[in-house]
Amino acid sequence: MASALIEFKNVGLSFDGELLFRDVNFAIAKGEAFAIIGPSGQGKSVVVKMMAGLLEPTSGEILIDGENLVTLRGKERERLLRRMGMLFQKNALFDSLTVAENVAFPLREVQQASEAEVEEAVRFYLDSVGILHAKDLFPDEISGGMQKRLGIARALALKPEIVFYDDPTAGLDPITSRKIIQLIVDLRAEHGSTVVAITNDMNRARQLGGRIAMVVDGEVIVTGDHARTLAHSDPRVRQFVRGLLEGPLTAGSP
Amino acid sequence: MVGGFRDIIDDIGGGLLFLGRMLSTLFRAPPRSHVVFDQIWRVTTNSLSTTALAGFFVGAIMTVQFTLQVKEFGALGYLGGLATSGTIREVGPLLIAFMLSGKVGAFTSAELGTMRVTEQIDAICCLGANPFQEIILPRFIAIILSSFFLLAVGLFMSIAGGLLLGIVFSGITAEEYLRHIPTIVTAPSIAGGLFKCLSFALVLASVCTYKGFTAAGGAKGVGRAVVSTAVATMVGLVIADFITTLVSDAVLAIALQG
Repeated sequence: MASALIEFKNVGLSFDGELLFRDVNFAIAKGEAFAIIGPSGQGKSVVVKMMAGLLEPTSGEILIDGENLVTLRGKERERLLRRMGMLFQKNALFDSLTVAENVAFPLREVQQASEAEVEEAVRFYLDSVGILHAKDLFPDEISGGMQKRLGIARALALKPEIVFYDDPTAGLDPITSRKIIQLIVDLRAEHGSTVVAITNDMNRARQLGGRIAMVVDGEVIVTGDHARTLAHSDPRVRQFVRGLLEGPLTAGSP
Repeated sequence: MVGGFRDIIDDIGGGLLFLGRMLSTLFRAPPRSHVVFDQIWRVTTNSLSTTALAGFFVGAIMTVQFTLQVKEFGALGYLGGLATSGTIREVGPLLIAFMLSGKVGAFTSAELGTMRVTEQIDAICCLGANPFQEIILPRFIAIILSSFFLLAVGLFMSIAGGLLLGIVFSGITAEEYLRHIPTIVTAPSIAGGLFKCLSFALVLASVCTYKGFTAAGGAKGVGRAVVSTAVATMVGLVIADFITTLVSDAVLAIALQG
């Protein structure tokens, strides 16, 4: 594997005394597309939020390009976070700002770009995701698929090296889901970024084209590419990817 | 009972840590002035009409109440001074704080709480921006600065209300009403009023931003944040009023001795 851009070293996390993750170890290479799958409620979003610095593990190290995100503070931490972008499961769009202003926000407030640069970048990113025509509308005036596209455009506005997608196809129909994943694949190819995406759909995980990891029972099991994942020996992985009712996983657990 | 007490201690500790983080951000990365001015404009325009209206009636009430007392002593000429002094020292700052807590405090808490539960605050962090610099400090500063402006408007309206009732209800002239205001409303009274105004605004701004920022649990969580903002603000204002009254009186006594 090429040099690791994201690395979990013995990461553990507890909430209210309950151990959610223990000694999680895995690495994601620079430029990789990494899909995270797993049953609902097992902590897929928690893993991604730890990578994005939104949640602090109770033990271990999370290295981003060799720097420990867990211990970094202040300007150094903000500098590292600026290398990342994130699409949230429910988009987390700024509802008081228009579509264009949502994309302009990081450019104005973080990059402090000139208004001409902001306008040019906003047009470029909204055009890239195909919603330039809706630039003056507010997030609640556009469809769910367009909101996802807007979330992607905002996440990419600062040209991040790492982009996290927390269930980018949640609540979307199969055709729109496929289009969104294709957009993610295309943008990754264009920008050369590292992509970490959560999905519950094996077809979408295959479409992403990289390695897959499954989050279950407080573990992160890196299963390899799509073919290896389908043939994986762990009964929990086999049950999940084949959608079987019988097996160690209980529907809707925990 | 023990759990409730522990929650209060937790809340106070969390609030102090929150204030510490806000202060460190203020010195390290102060908010941009245009964002602060936007918030000042929003807070002021949202509360101006109600503060002015309430100020007018408070002045009127003070005049009616004082009329009943001073008439017996034939001291109606002091009515304007007494009513205005009472308003600037006590009723004015408290009134402004209650007005702001009802309008701006609840709104700010709900707005920040919604931003929290819809992950908009997380999104700000993910974009490498500082939510304290972008959304908390501008609101905090705006509430404090707007309080002083609203206090001035409320006081002006209370004088107008008192003056009108002085003429209509107490039967004195405008000149009689206004004559003793400069002699009774002294610099220490004004300083005491401003000190109270600042203290109440600090309580309100701290509580509503902290409660909104720490909201959790969807729409219900936002509702809880707004309710606990209202309760904590009212209790905090009464306690702050008690403390500032003691401090103001002590300072005034020292000043008079000097």
